Amino acid sequence: MRPLWPLAVITFKEGIRNRALYGIFLLALLLFVANFLICGMIMQEVGKVAVDVALSAVSFSGLLLVLFVGINLLAKDLDRRTIYMVLARPISRRHYIWGKFLGMAMLIVTATAMLGGCALLSIGSVRWAFPSYFPRFAWSPVLLALMLITLMLVLLAGMSFLFASFATSSFVTLILTVVSYLIGHGVAAIKALVESPAAVGIEVSATTVRVVKAAYYLFPNLSLFDIKVQAAHNLPVSWTYLAGTVAYGLFYTALSVTLAGLVFSRREFP
Amino acid sequence: MRRLLATLVLVAALAAGQVATLWWAAGARQDLPLPEDHSYVLPGPLLRVVAGEFRGLAADFCFLQGLTAYGKLLESAGPSQARDSDWQRVYRLLDAATDLDPYFFDPYYFGNAVLSRNPEMIPRINQLLEKGLEWRDWDWLLPFYLGFNHFYYLQDSGRASEYLMLGAQRPDAMPLLATLAARLAYQENRTENAIVFLRGILSRTEDERTRELYQVRLEALEKIHYLEQAVLVYRQHYGEMPGTLNVLQERGVISAIPEDPYGGTFYLDADGSVKSTSELTYAKGGTSNEIPAN
Amino acid sequence: MVSIQGISKTFREGLSSRKVQALQRLTLEIASGEVFGFLGPNGAGKSTSIKVLLNLIRPDDGKATILDRDVSDRRVRRQVGYLPENPYFYDYLNADELLWFGGRSSGMTADDLRHKTPALLERVGLLEARKRPLRTYSKGMVQRAGLALALIHDPAVVILDEPMSGLDPVGRKMVGDLILDLKHQGKTVFFSSHILNDIERFCDRIGIIAGGRLRLVGELDKVVPAGETLEGLFLRAIADDFGGLPS
Ligand SMILES: Nc1ncnc2c1ncn2[C@@H]1O[C@H](COP(=O)(O)OP(=O)(O)OP(=O)(O)O)[C@@H](O)[C@H]1O
Ligand SMILES: [Mg+2]
Repeated sequence: MRPLWPLAVITFKEGIRNRALYGIFLLALLLFVANFLICGMIMQEVGKVAVDVALSAVSFSGLLLVLFVGINLLAKDLDRRTIYMVLARPISRRHYIWGKFLGMAMLIVTATAMLGGCALLSIGSVRWAFPSYFPRFAWSPVLLALMLITLMLVLLAGMSFLFASFATSSFVTLILTVVSYLIGHGVAAIKALVESPAAVGIEVSATTVRVVKAAYYLFPNLSLFDIKVQAAHNLPVSWTYLAGTVAYGLFYTALSVTLAGLVFSRREFP
Repeated sequence: MRRLLATLVLVAALAAGQVATLWWAAGARQDLPLPEDHSYVLPGPLLRVVAGEFRGLAADFCFLQGLTAYGKLLESAGPSQARDSDWQRVYRLLDAATDLDPYFFDPYYFGNAVLSRNPEMIPRINQLLEKGLEWRDWDWLLPFYLGFNHFYYLQDSGRASEYLMLGAQRPDAMPLLATLAARLAYQENRTENAIVFLRGILSRTEDERTRELYQVRLEALEKIHYLEQAVLVYRQHYGEMPGTLNVLQERGVISAIPEDPYGGTFYLDADGSVKSTSELTYAKGGTSNEIPAN
Repeated sequence: MVSIQGISKTFREGLSSRKVQALQRLTLEIASGEVFGFLGPNGAGKSTSIKVLLNLIRPDDGKATILDRDVSDRRVRRQVGYLPENPYFYDYLNADELLWFGGRSSGMTADDLRHKTPALLERVGLLEARKRPLRTYSKGMVQRAGLALALIHDPAVVILDEPMSGLDPVGRKMVGDLILDLKHQGKTVFFSSHILNDIERFCDRIGIIAGGRLRLVGELDKVVPAGETLEGLFLRAIADDFGGLPS
């Protein structure tokens, strides 16, 4: 921890002061305001829609944060060689990756905490305006959903570190991260589809099944972190599920960052 | 070297942990309750706005969701026990897919094949097909499907005949359409007409799973046709109607009463036509477990 | 103190298989308390050698040590200060935070830092601008911030890659004074430059590199024969095997 902390702090400061962050927050703010307008048009389940829109806004803004601020934090270090100022210190390449990741995780947690606060505010104000349309509402699943969104974003950042450790440009990292995000959200559904193709009357070759299964274990199963539906309808979320998902998120993140450190420790910076 | 080895061991441990927790969490997720109204699908026009330039992609996605929803319906209850809302969800997804891309043939084709397993969905199917009829104005298959549905399920030979006429005028239509359109002018030969219809549809259906759906129906109709012919023979011979189908067997007109592939039992209706207790669907309370392999 | 033993490094040019031999069996020893000037034309391999010393590049062959420790040991760098040739720092940090990072990551206490930071910033002439984000700095100001970062943790070995580049005459004098100060404190200084005047003023010893090979090394007053200028020597040294100036 000692060698990681100073790097984590300056990474965090560099990220939180980034102008792009203002843009992302502005967008989120617009979405929260839009929440009010959208809910005005809903006839029955205002509560559900309010939660849906608010949580999706947090998730989307967080995604933009990881893709455009997070990836840049690492990529700029490599592109512009600001990494020299770090590696000239008694900091190994592994420490570098972990320190940077720690700073990045702090940035994500802070940003989602702020976005989440706004989301709660927006839900709260809709509820205040239409109190009778929140028959099945509770705050705790919304908070849990926010927590899982944060964890998902941290995981995605970890993946982007892995890609950045071998990619030659930040653009490649960005593309790979976006692709993983898309696959990560679809892979569970696709796996379910190809595993019982008869159910829907499609035919699936054995190779496809194998490829999809490989993808299922290789790419993060991001849909696990999505409990927006449960939050919107205040449905019970079991503790086993939460514990499993959190453990999965931590394992996957640790694996990505460890691998990133391994690849990175072989790299040179001419 | 040692460091590297240690790292690799760590990586292996983390990978194992990752897979184990994935199983754990994915298993636990299956037990999470789903909301009742999860079947809510955004209305098509709104989807068009949201999808922006990716309408085609969104249509494909909706269609795949429709496939999955149908799969879930079969898995959870089987077609006979499925709730009405499950059927509605499949329909809405297909409807949304065709709102996003009204030229997309698959949702029409799939909807016509599977939704007809619930006879209550027939008006919905026809609504869907009507939409396709308008957009895919070169396609004779959609009026053909519509013709069959009107003739067979809605017993409206007049409308059916109109649809077939329309289809017959479209390019490359099977000659069968014109023939059928003419034959439907007569109310008689219902069963026979239906058989001709189904054979026509089958000749244009390549997908194995969908073929099976139609084939079971064809098989049932052929058996009914066989029985009706036997009743005809009996009447000519004895100058009266047989009281029940068993009489046909007792008098040696037929060797055995064939089995209804839908699991019902054939019987002779008061008006002299042969029917089945299954009504040729896996209807609610149907006795059959032998749902075809799809 | 600083020792480079027979290091070679070959770069690949982009994705093609064409190779560039940046360093060929380079051997150098720099004693404690010495100010060593590293000379060479553009593309000679100066920066490459320095990056090997900072473990930013790994040599294909040979070994580099500082204070008798292999440079791949991260702890070495607690005793090393480094100024890259075109320093670039985080955009949104200010000079204070930059030095905070440098000091803390090199094991300094917060107390130490509080005393040292203003003094050092004053020395490099950034005291006024210390709260401004680095992104608003001019090239010379960035260079000064880089120098402060290299020196904040009071390293025993200071490695500067072209420390004078981009500086105004006042800045050059400041750097010169800094180097002389370090010399008086008994630090080891290794710096590269093409500015022969500077080399002549501060160095105890010089090394001349061209085409990745060391051409000449020795004490300044001994290698420059009487009646010849350093410039003449330099041009002769690099022309030796080429029969002319390298392209
Ligand atoms: N990343 C790289 N890829 C390929 N070749 C490289 C790379 N870095 C340096 N080189 C080559 O290695 C050689 C030495 O470069 P180096 O940067 O060490 O020169 P230098 O002496 O510092 O020059 P200058 O005075 O211009 O700074 C040059 O021929 C250069 O083209
Ligand atoms: Mg250089």
